[in-house]
Amino acid sequence: MSSPAAALEVRRLSKRFPPRPGQSESPWVLSDLSFCVGDSEFLTIVGPSGSGKTTLLNILSQVDGASGGEMLFRGESINLASAALNPGLNCHIGYVTQDDNLLPWQTLIDNVTFPLKLQGRLNQESMARMQGLLKAVNLIGFDHYYPHELSGGMRKRASLIRTLAYDPPIILMDEPFGAVDAQTRTQLQQDLLRLWNLGRKTIVFVTHDIGEAIALGDRVLVLSRSPARVIYEHHVAIPRPRDLSNFYKLEGFGDMYETVRKELL
Amino acid sequence: MSAVAESLPFPVPRSRRRWIPYGRIGVALACFALWQFGSYWMGKEWLPGPVATFARIWDLALSAQLFRDSLVTFSEAAAGMILGGVGGAALPFLLRLSPRLLKASEPFLSAAFGVPKLALAPLFILWLGIGIMTKIVFVASIVFFLMFYNGMAGILSVDPRLVAMARVAGASQWQVTRHIVWNTTVPFLFAGLKIALPRAISGAVVGEFIAADSGLGWYINNSRSLNDTVGVLAGVIVVTILVIVVNAVLQRSQARSLAWRPVSRDMVV
Amino acid sequence: MNLRLAIDRLILLAVFLGLWQACSMGFGTHWFSSPIGTTLRFGELSLNGELLYHMNYTAQAAVYGFLVGGIPGLLLPFMLRKQAVLNAILDPYFAGGYGVPKLALAPLFVLWFGIDLEPKIALVASIVFFLVFFSTMAGVQAVNPQYVNMARVAGASERDIARHIVWPGAIPYAFAGFRIAAPYSIGAAVVGELISSNRGLGYLIQAGATDFDTTTVFVSLATLTLIVVVINIGVAHFERWLLRWRPRTGAGTSWVAGA
Repeated sequence: MSSPAAALEVRRLSKRFPPRPGQSESPWVLSDLSFCVGDSEFLTIVGPSGSGKTTLLNILSQVDGASGGEMLFRGESINLASAALNPGLNCHIGYVTQDDNLLPWQTLIDNVTFPLKLQGRLNQESMARMQGLLKAVNLIGFDHYYPHELSGGMRKRASLIRTLAYDPPIILMDEPFGAVDAQTRTQLQQDLLRLWNLGRKTIVFVTHDIGEAIALGDRVLVLSRSPARVIYEHHVAIPRPRDLSNFYKLEGFGDMYETVRKELL
Repeated sequence: MSAVAESLPFPVPRSRRRWIPYGRIGVALACFALWQFGSYWMGKEWLPGPVATFARIWDLALSAQLFRDSLVTFSEAAAGMILGGVGGAALPFLLRLSPRLLKASEPFLSAAFGVPKLALAPLFILWLGIGIMTKIVFVASIVFFLMFYNGMAGILSVDPRLVAMARVAGASQWQVTRHIVWNTTVPFLFAGLKIALPRAISGAVVGEFIAADSGLGWYINNSRSLNDTVGVLAGVIVVTILVIVVNAVLQRSQARSLAWRPVSRDMVV
Repeated sequence: MNLRLAIDRLILLAVFLGLWQACSMGFGTHWFSSPIGTTLRFGELSLNGELLYHMNYTAQAAVYGFLVGGIPGLLLPFMLRKQAVLNAILDPYFAGGYGVPKLALAPLFVLWFGIDLEPKIALVASIVFFLVFFSTMAGVQAVNPQYVNMARVAGASERDIARHIVWPGAIPYAFAGFRIAAPYSIGAAVVGELISSNRGLGYLIQAGATDFDTTTVFVSLATLTLIVVVINIGVAHFERWLLRWRPRTGAGTSWVAGA
C-alpha cells in the first residue's frame, strides 16, 4: 500500500455461485481477497484465465453480489454479501467490459453520449469534451455510423470514451484490449495512457497479459488460481511517460516480467 | 418442477416457485367461474355455461356422432397430408437439379405462397363437390406448400462443399441426392410434418364449414345456422381437444420442450 | 436482373398462361375461366368500382383485426417482463391459446358478433395476437444482460432500460411476428367472409363459386394474391428501413419475398 488516500478498498472478499442442480456445494471462485487502490493510481491486476477476474470486477462495480467481504468507498463501508446492488454506485464507478457492448441500434455518437443522456448531463460543455475525446482516439467523422459498420478497434475506442465521457472517479477495465490484434492493441494502450494522463483517474485494469499489466500499471497485483486471492504485489518502477512501442526494452521490465511469470505458475 | 422452472422465459426466484402451480390452477378455476358467470349475465343463448356445453359433448360422445365426425375430419386431414406431403417434399429435390429453373421460378413461387389457400376452398367445392375428396384436396394444397417451403429450406441449407467433395470422389447425381441432400433435408421435413398435421385438421374443419355433410366443421357450422350455440361451443371445444391431443402425441414422439417456440411460417393457426 | 433470368421468367409465365388456357379450353370456361376472360372481367370490375368496394371491405377487416390483435400482442410482453411469477402462471394458458385453431372459431364469432365486419375483425385479431405476442416475447426474453448491466452502471433507471435497451432489442423479433401475421390477416378475413358475408373478396369467391361463375372467382383470387404480394414487398422495404442498424447477414438470403 503506497498511497495513503485509498480511493477504494476491498476486505476479505469471497464469492461462490449458487450450486447447479445436483450439486450440493459449489467451489469458491474468490476467497479472502483484499487490496486497495490509491487515488489517481493505475492499478493492474493479472491472473490466470478463469481465475475470476471478471467476477471480481462485477462485484466491485456492484453488477453482481458477493458471498462475503466488505468494500470501503468514499468513506462508506458496504457489506458486499447483504447490501442491495447499486450498479455503478451512482455513477461513481465506471466499467469498461471485455465486450464493447455498444448498442447496435444506436449510432456511434448516440452510443458514446448514452451515459451522459441517462444522467441528464448532456450539454454544450459535455459535448465539447466529447468532441475532444473523439479526436483523441481518432473517431472524428464517424458520428452517424452504426456499430456494425465500425471495426473492432474503433468499437473498443468508442466503448472506452463512452465511460470516460461522464468522468467517474474510478474506472474498472476488464481485459478491454483482449480481442483485438496486436498492433491495434498497442495503439489502444497508448491512447488509454494518453487519456489517463489528461485527467488522472483511478483505474483498476484487469488482464491475463503480464506484459500489458507491467507496461500500463503503477502497481501490479498477482492473483492466484481459483479460489483467487491476491498473492503478490509489485510496484512498477518504470518512469512515465512510457514508450509502449518498445516496452520490452524498458529498464527493469524483463526482470519484473520473469518474476511475475513465475508467480503465476 | 425444476424442469418446468428451467424452461420459464423470465427467471423466478426459488422462493416464489412454489406458487406457480397453485396460481395456474387458480387461473383455470377463475376461467370456469367467469365462463359460468358470463353465461348467467349474457344469457344462455349467447354464451352457454360450462355445464351445458360439457353435457352436450357427453351426449355427442354417447351417441357416437362425436366419434363419427371426428373420424371424418381426422381422415380428411390425414389423407390430405399424405397427398400434399409427398408432393411438397419431393418437388424441392427435383427443383434442385436445375438451379436455373429454381431461380427463374422464385417470384412465381413467392406469389403462390401469397395466395391464402383457404380462399381456394369454394373453388375446390365447385370443381369437386361437397364430398370428402374436396376436403382432402383442400388439405393437400395447404400441406403441399408447407412441406415445399420446409423442403426448400432444407435443400438450400445443403453445404455445397460437401456436394463438391462427393462429386470429386466420383458420386453420381443420384448418390449425392441420396447421401447428402436427403440427410440434410430430412430434419426440415420432419419439422414440417409436425406442424402440418394440426394445420391439416384446421384446414379440414374450415373446408367443412363451407360445404360438407359430415365432420366436426360441418357440425359446428350447422349448429350455427340452427342458432344452436351450445352445439357450436361444444364442437369448437372438441376440435381444440383433437388438435391438442395430436400436438401432444407428436411432441412426445420427438421429446420437444414446451418452451417458447420461435416464430416461423409453420405456426398453428 | 440479367437478361437471361428475365427471359427465363417470361418463358415460365408463358408456360403458365398456356397451361391455364389449355385447362380452360379442356374443361370449359364454366369450370375453368380462361386467362383472357379473367383479365377482361378484372378490368370490368375495376372500372365499375365493384372490385375496389369488395377489396376495401376485406382490407378493413384485415387492418382493424391486425391492429386490435397486434397492439396488445406487442405491449403485453413488455408489461409481463417484470412480473416473472405472473408470467410463469399464465405461460401454459398462452401456449394453449396458441394451440387452439383460431379459424375453427369463425362460426362462433359469427354467432356472437353478427355477420358484418365484427366477427372477421375478431377472427383476424385472435390469430394476429398470438403470432405477435410470441415473437415479441422471444425478443423481450432475448435482451442482452450485458447491455442492461452497462446501462445500469451508467446510471439508467428501470424506465431507461425498458426504453433504450429492451424495446429496441425486441423490435426485430416483434417485427418478424408482424411480417408473418400480415398475410395471415388477409387470409383470416377471407375465411370469415366465406362463412358468412355479403361483401368482400371472400364473398365474391363464394358467390362466384355458387353461381358457377369461375371468372369472378379467378379475378378475386388474383386480386388477393396481388394484395398479399404487395404487402410482402412493402413490409420487406419497411423492415429494411426500420432495422437499418442490423449487419447484413451474408448467408442464406431468403428466397421467398418477405419470408
